Amino acid sequence: MQYSQKVLDHFMKPHNVGKLENPDVEATEGSPACGDQVTIYMNVNEKTHKIEEITFQSYGCASNIATGSIITDLAKGKTLEEAKKISWKEAAEALDGLPPVKMHCSVLAVDTLQKAIKNYEISHGLAEKESFSKQTIINELKKILYPKVGESIVTLKMVKYVGFEDGVAIIDVDIPKFDEHRDNVADEIKEHLEKYPEIKDVKVTM
Amino acid sequence: MERIYFNNCLTSKPAPEVIEAMLPYLTDKFQLPENFVISGGIINADLANFRKIIADSMSAEPSEIHFTTGGTSANNLAIKGFISENANQGTHLIVSVIDYPDLLTNAAFFEKSGFDVTYLDTDEEGYVNPEELREAIQDDTILFMTTMANHTVGTLQPLKEYRKILDEANHKIAMHVDACEAYGRYPLDVNDLGIDIMSISAHKIHGPKGVGAMYVRKGIKIGPTKHGINRLDEFETGGISTAAIAGFAKAVELIFSNFDQYFQHIKDLQKHLLDKIESTISHTLLNGPRGDKRVPHNMNISFDYIEGEAIIMMLDMVGISAATGSACASKGLKANYVMMALGRNHEQSHSSIKFTLSRYNTKDEIDYTVEKLAEIVRNLRRLSPLYKEEN
Repeated sequence: MQYSQKVLDHFMKPHNVGKLENPDVEATEGSPACGDQVTIYMNVNEKTHKIEEITFQSYGCASNIATGSIITDLAKGKTLEEAKKISWKEAAEALDGLPPVKMHCSVLAVDTLQKAIKNYEISHGLAEKESFSKQTIINELKKILYPKVGESIVTLKMVKYVGFEDGVAIIDVDIPKFDEHRDNVADEIKEHLEKYPEIKDVKVTM
Repeated sequence: MERIYFNNCLTSKPAPEVIEAMLPYLTDKFQLPENFVISGGIINADLANFRKIIADSMSAEPSEIHFTTGGTSANNLAIKGFISENANQGTHLIVSVIDYPDLLTNAAFFEKSGFDVTYLDTDEEGYVNPEELREAIQDDTILFMTTMANHTVGTLQPLKEYRKILDEANHKIAMHVDACEAYGRYPLDVNDLGIDIMSISAHKIHGPKGVGAMYVRKGIKIGPTKHGINRLDEFETGGISTAAIAGFAKAVELIFSNFDQYFQHIKDLQKHLLDKIESTISHTLLNGPRGDKRVPHNMNISFDYIEGEAIIMMLDMVGISAATGSACASKGLKANYVMMALGRNHEQSHSSIKFTLSRYNTKDEIDYTVEKLAEIVRNLRRLSPLYKEEN
């Protein structure tokens, strides 16, 4: 599948690019090792909680840059509560779709936005830091897409078991042995979970 | 301006003379070779001539050349055919971790079937040390497989040294060479290099797709692995396009009638491209060796802080075709295995761009490309959270 014209437009001329001077909040998700990383900077009106300024920086492919551009367009002028409702599917639709294998870029962009919102809420006493539980692991797994179809491995019922004991997360995923995305899914699971200090080790069985 | 094409490792544009040479076999000369009838006899004579052209280009005998439906088919017929015929002599195979996927997937296939496979390592320039080959040889080793010019970073392997080491073993070990990347681009004499079996391909050297050849040295035993009717070749059974073979022979004729001039032209372009990139763009890293250890048409460079798919897409938008080792551009979303084996990190693999040149490229095209590339790299770095603006 090819990129839509809208993806190409946002890729070639991305909106809201760069770093804000002294932003109220910033958040980074992804990693260069995995080939994509997004940082979002925001200024939020303290009274109205409206996102007044939002910019991004991206290390990644065309769809990574395009989703960073569209997500900042979508969030700009919205209140934090409104911006929380932006989903990765909505961001992808706003770009007239993304190839399934590139859908994870939309998840990463939305995830970064949500993390920025959360960081702002915590630092301004609007929310408390969530305590870590097995549900945190499940929520992270929901963000991992099966590249072949561009849908979450949880929604696709590919996750057969989630365990967490003594700092070790054990995830069992149903994925065919000769699937070309097998290693990628395992790497994504590790990348998503290893960022939690509560998790000392991640064991992925397939 | 016409599109600028630097993806000749993937495939190359057929030469106009090649298309012309193919046409008769798609029209009047549509028959297959046959005995005792005039039309079949004409095709027989033509095919003999084509086989001789290919054989002469590598100092082989025409009887040692087998036409195939491409490079991958040649690799499969060669490896599987050799092993099926020689497994009673031993079950140990040697290959390196950076070889072409055809060799590695065949090695994995035989490993799964119970064969013992040694995977030789590489240094950071993509050079597989002959001494490692010496150490890997066992009493039951029957086959060593190698890629003459690496498909990712262009490193030329020391085939003569390998041959010497194989000949010093206490028993016979065959050397299979994937030469699809090197053939027609680097001097190749099967006798001088001591090659036993070899694969070559037409579409990488301005010939048509769907045709290649397997070289099998006289005396080396190969068994049939693709069973069926023998139309043109006992190993590549069934039909092979005679038009494609005619085009292949023409492509080879064109190259070898002017080999030294083309070789020097591409080598000069390669040097110009590297010099220009390194003098214009900061924070770059050459992947693979410098100078004569590298096949002339390959240039592979990483651009720090940015990702390769974005670079090649932006190049594509301004009419330039190149390739990347980025996971984002691969089917399995994996970093390039050759780059990782060379000791590059994920970022260096994701940011690598491969330019593969041909005789049709010009110095002007390279000047234009580097000018555009410098702009693209500047813009993407401005966008990147990893890049800190230089003072």
